[in-house]
Amino acid sequence: MKPRHALLAVLVGLLAAAPWMLSDFMLSLVLTCLMYAGLTVTWAMFSGATNYLSLATAAFFGIGAYVTAWGFGALPYAVVVPLGGVASAVFAALIGAAVLHLRGAYFAVLTFGLGELVRHAITYFEKSYAHTVGRVIANPPESTSVYLTVLAIAAAAVWASVAVRRSRFGLALAGIGADEERAETLGVNTRRTKIAGFALSAFFAGALGAAMAVRWTYIEPNSVFNPFIGFQTVLIAMVGGAHTLIGPLVSSVVFSVLTEFLRLQFPYLFLTLLGLALILLVLYLPGGLASLWPILRARIAALGARLAALEGEGARG
Amino acid sequence: MSFWLELVATGLITGGIYAVVAIGLNLQYGLMRIMNIAHGEFLMLGAYLTWLAATVLKLNPLVFLPVVALVLFLIGLGVYRICFRRISRTAPSVEVIEARSLLVSFGLMFLVQNAAYLAWGADLRGYAFLDVPVEIGGARFTANRLVVFGFAVAASLVLLAVLRFTLVGKAVRAMMQSPTGAQLVGIDTAVLHPVVFGVGLALAGVAGALLSMVYEISPAMGEPYTVTALIVITLGGLGSTVGALVGGLLLGVVEALGMHFTSPSLKMLLSYGVFIAVLLARPKGLFAR
Repeated sequence: MKPRHALLAVLVGLLAAAPWMLSDFMLSLVLTCLMYAGLTVTWAMFSGATNYLSLATAAFFGIGAYVTAWGFGALPYAVVVPLGGVASAVFAALIGAAVLHLRGAYFAVLTFGLGELVRHAITYFEKSYAHTVGRVIANPPESTSVYLTVLAIAAAAVWASVAVRRSRFGLALAGIGADEERAETLGVNTRRTKIAGFALSAFFAGALGAAMAVRWTYIEPNSVFNPFIGFQTVLIAMVGGAHTLIGPLVSSVVFSVLTEFLRLQFPYLFLTLLGLALILLVLYLPGGLASLWPILRARIAALGARLAALEGEGARG
Repeated sequence: MSFWLELVATGLITGGIYAVVAIGLNLQYGLMRIMNIAHGEFLMLGAYLTWLAATVLKLNPLVFLPVVALVLFLIGLGVYRICFRRISRTAPSVEVIEARSLLVSFGLMFLVQNAAYLAWGADLRGYAFLDVPVEIGGARFTANRLVVFGFAVAASLVLLAVLRFTLVGKAVRAMMQSPTGAQLVGIDTAVLHPVVFGVGLALAGVAGALLSMVYEISPAMGEPYTVTALIVITLGGLGSTVGALVGGLLLGVVEALGMHFTSPSLKMLLSYGVFIAVLLARPKGLFAR
């Protein structure tokens, strides 16, 4: 596993140099890639392993963004970002304690509604107590430090999901995904494990929301609780293959680039096609692109064997 | 007195629509484990069809109602054939069917909703229909609301009667109780599943058509109804049609009362509060024995 760590370190090092090498446009593109990579990898860490389909990413992201909206200015950026993560994690733990005994569609739909719930709650709160609709972020930090912060969170997210995978905790999560009752019989405290996993993935989503919020300068509930963020996260993870690590990483780069170029020009058409892509993918390639890899490898191996056999025949003849 | 009557009646009128939407969704989920998050989008299609008929063809929307139901039924057959048949054939377990059909309907939601944006734009649309005031027992309503309520309840009751008294209804109920047992006694899944899915969408379409007579419509109108229908199903219990009808009416009244005594912008919070409370206290539904 050592070479993989070295590879990750080199990649992070290269990305850290990006602000001094790339144009502003390319930098913002890389920033979007990093954001979705972080969101997707940590989504897959919980939902991919346990098969609890969470659609709450938008809610966690938005909570993080609102921590920035309320706290930035009074608190420095470096404090606001982890605080956003913690706020989301606490929210996820509370909600998780209440609803994680539900399986399947109930859980998915409830988490789908969470974003709406929090959005309405914040809108109501802001209107009746703060008498505003949105909030302006004054003196946002410069784009280099935003970029480096998001890079650090994304790298931490990848590192965390590698570490979780190889730990007892990660095995317990995967055990819940395979057969929850069996995992419980084997001595896994499924309740605590699920809540911890849910909260951990929410922490990263919240921190990313808090870090990205300063880029918008004007924050309102409708833009930061955008269901599109949650939708895109699930879609990217499904396309890449939610059970793998590399799959979601690669597809988040592809999707961010596509989004950046197409979404602004053809917003409705783009979303229509994304919906179609999700349907086709679930129907014809439910394991994601990563599930193609073993097939491809087997084909290459078979081809190699046939070539070797042909060569052997040629030598004899 | 007339104040309370007006408040409760307003709740019941909204609740009638909730019931129609929820019954369709409940049938689909109870029978096939398809949690159709795109259900509200088909409600929106029904609303737009009716709006087109009322404004372009100058038809009476009530006369057009059976057409909407038929069109949505056919769309349902098509959607089932293209998307969900493959899932139920290839998935190894019920849980996988649930997860995959949820994702597919998530995709459908984005597909249909944004296609509607492409076709009709984001503007609010509407037409006037029977918006004359009527007075009953000292309370005042517009006539279209009463018509909508009548049709919603009638649609629900007809469906209840079909399920209870006909052979097809018996087959559907048998499949909900035991899919394997039903197949053993000769009930044909290959026919029943698409038909029930189509009926679910037809009900959503009817609900949308009725809504378009009272409210202005937009491509995003469907989503809240999906969520509400889900809450109603939780209230009434999975697979229970009577539960969905009673739960729908109940939620309508709770919302109307809650909104009156607190604030209209708290509507979603109220519904969610009810939802989470019921899930925590009685996960099998309020009327489960």
